[in-house]
Amino acid sequence: MADLLEIENLESGYGRIRILHGVSIATTGNRNVGLFGPNGHGKTTLLRTISGLIRAWSGTIRFDGTDITRMAPRHIVELGLIHVPQGNRLFPDLTIRETLRLGAWPSRARADEAANADRVVAIFPKLRERWNQQVRTLSGGERQMVSIGVALMSHPRLLVLDEPTLGLAPRLKDELCAAIKRISDEGVPLVVVEQDVEFLLDLADHLYLVNHGEIATEIRPGEMMNHQAIMEMYFGKQVGPLT
Amino acid sequence: MTVLVQILLSALFMGSLYAMMAVGLALVWTTIGVFNFCHGVFMTLGAYVAWQFVSPDAFGLPMAVSLPLSMLVVAAFGFLLQAAVVRPFIGRGDVVLVAVITTLAASSALENGTQLVWGPRPLGLPALIEGNVDFHGIGISLHQVAIIVITPIILGAVWLFLNRMRLGLALRAVAQNEDACHLVGINVTALYALAFGLAAALAALAGVFFGGFKFMSPQMGTEPLSKALVVVIFGGVANISGPIMAAYIIALFEAISTYVIGFYWTPALLFAVLIAVLMVKPEGLFSGRTRGLA
Repeated sequence: MADLLEIENLESGYGRIRILHGVSIATTGNRNVGLFGPNGHGKTTLLRTISGLIRAWSGTIRFDGTDITRMAPRHIVELGLIHVPQGNRLFPDLTIRETLRLGAWPSRARADEAANADRVVAIFPKLRERWNQQVRTLSGGERQMVSIGVALMSHPRLLVLDEPTLGLAPRLKDELCAAIKRISDEGVPLVVVEQDVEFLLDLADHLYLVNHGEIATEIRPGEMMNHQAIMEMYFGKQVGPLT
Repeated sequence: MTVLVQILLSALFMGSLYAMMAVGLALVWTTIGVFNFCHGVFMTLGAYVAWQFVSPDAFGLPMAVSLPLSMLVVAAFGFLLQAAVVRPFIGRGDVVLVAVITTLAASSALENGTQLVWGPRPLGLPALIEGNVDFHGIGISLHQVAIIVITPIILGAVWLFLNRMRLGLALRAVAQNEDACHLVGINVTALYALAFGLAAALAALAGVFFGGFKFMSPQMGTEPLSKALVVVIFGGVANISGPIMAAYIIALFEAISTYVIGFYWTPALLFAVLIAVLMVKPEGLFSGRTRGLA
């Protein structure tokens, strides 16, 4: 099977400032991919370049065999690559119902709108209680649920999540992790940026460490990894016991 | 009693025109985030284009055909103008200021263009409905009655469009979060064009209303634009019902003030009230603190 997402030598940035210095990643078949690494080293920039919000300077991005490197975001959405940005504040004045309805904007998703809405409610039953409430009145966790719900309404073939549990209280975070796991188990491949390594290991066995706008390390499926090893990638090896 | 009815009718009539103008202005402000100084000229153009279609000296078509044609032509004009003088600057940090200058320049060019094409001589449009009615001893033209009745219907339709249809939701959404719109696959540029076109069509309708009531001149859009500006600031733009309510309140205020202290001082008083509103509640009387619509 062809790899769903293949990125080669991608360079991009903001203005004249280069953030990504030749990033290459690829999914293996339809498996999930996890990205981790310190803050401010290009993970979010990478995702924004994939979804077309930022122009790539050079390199290629292929989605399911199609070159999407210079496509407008809406055409990328239409192909089924759906990006849930970090801390998405969505549309403050729209209600949950209206926001989800907008999620079914791509023509590809219109036919399944009702079924997708049922699916969102099944995964996030809490949203049903606040159906006609404005998004501005929701908590951070609820807003994150709506944000993922909108993505599900777009009928994703690949779901790109940028730190979905950022800043959430532990109980809400567990709830959201379970929901994301469920979405993955139901057959939507994911590309996830996440700081919570346990959660990332639970979701994906194919990981990339992004550091200084480059891929510092790749952990391929089947390769040994544990929490300790990943901590060492973040912070460097601890040579001797601290005294 | 007669005075009261007269004031109320005047408020309803002028309020309808102001509301029609203000909603278009608010629509462009909320979706694109720029203030469109061409809005008054769209109104002028609406009246003149309708005259071109309807006048026996020109094409001589019936009003029922000319009115929608004029709205269509002016909507197309709004679309082109947006593509020429607004869209190229979107994304720049100073787009608000640049758009003030470009739309002001375009409005000046269009105003003089109107004068070149149709001449400075005042023209008049036929009334929507000919005749007068007697209402509590006050004569009022059926044209004015028609406007008082039609305006809420049109504005109600705009409200339904913005609140019930997916395309309308998208127009509101683009005002609130452009990136998130890109990520659900919305063509943001096309929505800008739609907002401008729709606003221009509403202004054209106001122009036709106006032209059947007063003589038309190439400068006829200037004063309604400044009134619409007052209305939008007064009512805020968080919700299209804000400028609509504000339009009727301003018109009522104007009618009372014209009766009590006279025509001459009314505009000054109006702007004094506006400045007071800006000092007390700068986001508008019916508005929260965000830019958004409906």
